[in-house]
Amino acid sequence: YVTTILEDAKIYSSHAKKSSVDADDVRLAIQCRTDQSFTSPPPRDFLLDIARQKNQTPLPLIKPYSGPRLPPDRYCLTAPNYRLKSLQKKVSSSAGRITVPRLSVGAVSSRPSTPTLGTPSAQTVSVSTKVGTPVSLTGQRFTVQIPSSQAAVKSATPTTPTVQNVLINPSLIGPKNILITTNMVSSQNTSNEANPMKRKHEDDDDYDNL
Amino acid sequence: DRQTLVAVLQFLRRSNLRESEEILRREARLLGDDLGAAALSPAGVLGGPDGDAGSLGGEALLSRVTAAPAVAMGGSVATVASSSPGVAAVAAVPPGKGGARAGSRLTSRVVSHCIFGSSFRLSDKLLFNAFAVGGGVVVEDQPDVSAVLSAYNQQGDPTLYEEYYSGLKHFIECSLDCHRAELSQLFYPLFVHMYLELVYNQHESEAKSFFERFHGDQECYYQDDLRVLSSLTKKEHMKGNETMLDFRTSKFVLRISRDSYQLLKRHLQEKQNNQIWNIVQEHLYIDIFDGMPRSKQQIDAMVGSLAGEAKREANKAKVFFGLLKEPEFDVPLDDEDEEGENEEGKPKKKKPKKDSVGSKSKKQDPNAPPQNRIPLPELKDSDKLDKVMNMKEAAKRVRLGPECLPSICFYTFLNAYQGLTAVDVTDDSSMIVGGFADSTVRVWSVTPKKLRSVKTAADLSLIDKESDDVLERIMDEKTASELKILYGHSGPVYGTSFSPDRNYLLSCSEDGTVRLWSLQTFTCLVGYKGHNYPVWDTQFSPYGYYFVSGGYDRVARLWATDHYQPLRIFAGHLADVTCTRFHPNSNYIATGSADRTVRLWDVLNGNCVRIFTGHKGPIHSLAFSPNGRFLATGATDGRVLLWDIGHGLMVGELKGHTDTVYALRFSRDGEILASGSMDNTVRLWDAVKAFEDLETDDFTTATGHINLPENSQDLLLGTYMTKSTPVVHLHFTRRNLLLAAGAYSSQ
Repeated sequence: YVTTILEDAKIYSSHAKKSSVDADDVRLAIQCRTDQSFTSPPPRDFLLDIARQKNQTPLPLIKPYSGPRLPPDRYCLTAPNYRLKSLQKKVSSSAGRITVPRLSVGAVSSRPSTPTLGTPSAQTVSVSTKVGTPVSLTGQRFTVQIPSSQAAVKSATPTTPTVQNVLINPSLIGPKNILITTNMVSSQNTSNEANPMKRKHEDDDDYDNL
Repeated sequence: DRQTLVAVLQFLRRSNLRESEEILRREARLLGDDLGAAALSPAGVLGGPDGDAGSLGGEALLSRVTAAPAVAMGGSVATVASSSPGVAAVAAVPPGKGGARAGSRLTSRVVSHCIFGSSFRLSDKLLFNAFAVGGGVVVEDQPDVSAVLSAYNQQGDPTLYEEYYSGLKHFIECSLDCHRAELSQLFYPLFVHMYLELVYNQHESEAKSFFERFHGDQECYYQDDLRVLSSLTKKEHMKGNETMLDFRTSKFVLRISRDSYQLLKRHLQEKQNNQIWNIVQEHLYIDIFDGMPRSKQQIDAMVGSLAGEAKREANKAKVFFGLLKEPEFDVPLDDEDEEGENEEGKPKKKKPKKDSVGSKSKKQDPNAPPQNRIPLPELKDSDKLDKVMNMKEAAKRVRLGPECLPSICFYTFLNAYQGLTAVDVTDDSSMIVGGFADSTVRVWSVTPKKLRSVKTAADLSLIDKESDDVLERIMDEKTASELKILYGHSGPVYGTSFSPDRNYLLSCSEDGTVRLWSLQTFTCLVGYKGHNYPVWDTQFSPYGYYFVSGGYDRVARLWATDHYQPLRIFAGHLADVTCTRFHPNSNYIATGSADRTVRLWDVLNGNCVRIFTGHKGPIHSLAFSPNGRFLATGATDGRVLLWDIGHGLMVGELKGHTDTVYALRFSRDGEILASGSMDNTVRLWDAVKAFEDLETDDFTTATGHINLPENSQDLLLGTYMTKSTPVVHLHFTRRNLLLAAGAYSSQ
């Protein structure tokens, strides 16, 4: 701390074209540093003022049956904070494989929302994927994100994979109001090394489902 | 008011300031006074509360005005101003307080203008001071007055300060025994204010010698403050220190009986002591009560805070300390009850249960707040199930008392390396959370049931959504463990709190944020940013949804989980807010602070309804009694103080601990108070005995204090020592088993 202050003071004194460092330079250096690093809380009259303003508004009523009571999404930390990069990889010859990529489930009733898994929008070259828009059901406030394909496909000859978008299948809505949507996208990237583990997992799913 | 004008006019005439006199006469005519006649007959009796002022006739007034212009003007005007409501009725100004005040305000402006014109600048400022102090202050004058106050007006020759102080000291020491204790209260605030004044006006050497000479005379419990004060030797040191600035601008409150006050006033109004009188008037607020002067012991119990004691009117607001009605619903009794006593048949047991719930709700408790005073979340099904469980457990609860002490189960955090900074336990005692200095929050399950989080979305798609136990199936058994670590804060975690429905966890930290964590997924949901400085404590409301946080910026904030900004800001403390607790009815919040006061705030409108002084160190623990009537507080001075919320009085003092009391908890039915401290002990106190036989009649509430019996030893039921583990948290289970928590420190 002292070194920093004295160095700053030297700069100020040389700027003022003084031959030696003065007490005033040191004072100025301290003041500048204090404003930067050692801030103090606001003074009491200011606090009383904003308190008075804030306390005048009545307490907001609480909406019933609104699920987990959290601020709007942009103020929460529940959004994904990553995006998966698309890998430009050779396409393997296994076409027509239908995988069930990760699914995101909306909020279960009376439980806080599970964080939606990252649903990156892949930058695919040839595969055109339909990204479903978030659907919000009235009554139960949860959003469903229909994941887009994670398929990273690069192919000179786009073997057009079939894209099926099953948006909302009413039969999938269980009695407990869990809405699960699936977006079945075929992928041909078993050789994708980005997420070998995930890929394997999905392969297992395929075998189970099939 | 007339008397003032008369005095000033005469003074001006005698000093041959004809011009000023003319101006004043002209302006004063706006008030409709006939000053020509009035000036010649200033023999108005100054009726008012001041007995001394009444003895002054007009002659005396005039002599005061001429004798020592600057100072005496201030003194005499003060006495006049204090009786201004009475005098205004005499003067021909519009009746009513507003009129009187307007008159006096105009007068003060006019007079000061004249005097300013004649270059009596000092007296100008004193005039303002006097009007402010004497009670005639109006809102518009406030900026001028506060500007004056902050300028720390020079009240006399700095070299003479030591003389003034020692003169006062001599007087007080020679006074009667019964008054000496009360008058000794003046020493500390006067000392600090005089010292700060010298420092602010840059008389460094005088300040230093003043400090050297008198700092040893002060009470022992002010020594910490004095140490801080000794490091403030220059004006620049005072700038960044908000606590010192607040101390300077707020008035130190002293409670003195009328007799002692008269004695003091008579002494100080003699000519040579006028300097001290001015300082007293400027910086001290003397709350006079009628009654016996207090003994040293009584005074010592209640002083100690940074702003003196609390004014009696600060504790007069009505507080709804009763509990909210519990909602009635059928208690489903099923065969899972282990007790064999209900084998006669369910209907038989059902009736008494319903009666107990019903009888409470028949009459509205006058001290309870209306049910919808503040909006509270409705009860969900899971909450109702919880309540049923609670009632079942309550039936099996052990009745505690002096003969039946609780068993204490201690949870020791090993290998914490002095990093354990916060602990909380859920209401049903199933989970413990620890906040650590390495910014992690760790949650443990203390039941055989492990902590499970909800499955990932991929897995959730595979479950059978229609099965009955889907709520079990969504939980992930593969990653179940006894311990879950939550990462997210960027500084030591100083406070943690479980929500009553065990879905959320709050943690507050030195990084200025309060984080909400989900206990279904063990991830962070929201970070509430409002305090930009360390947050020392946070707590969920007993009904969930609201939570309170208090921190270094000297305010406490009320939040709701679905608002990213606070709903209420409770500002008023002079130093950091170190402890925040909700009242059981969720309508009030108690905050303990480093300025050694405890304040009770109303959630509805943010007003401070109670101020409790008496601790000699920062407060670190607060506990409301289950019936909502009493508050127990613990601080670094090792004392536990008990307060009656309704009357606003201190009703008990529990001495025994030798170090900071960090944990306080009442048993489930309020019979026992448990306190845990840094001196490695848990002490149990008899709460029933402490609160019975309170003599709180009108007289005691008028004076603001009761005689505290010296019964700490009688109330102490047991002292339980740990092996070098300070007690950080206490929790009574639903069956009245006491859980304690602390981190083993090998010193």
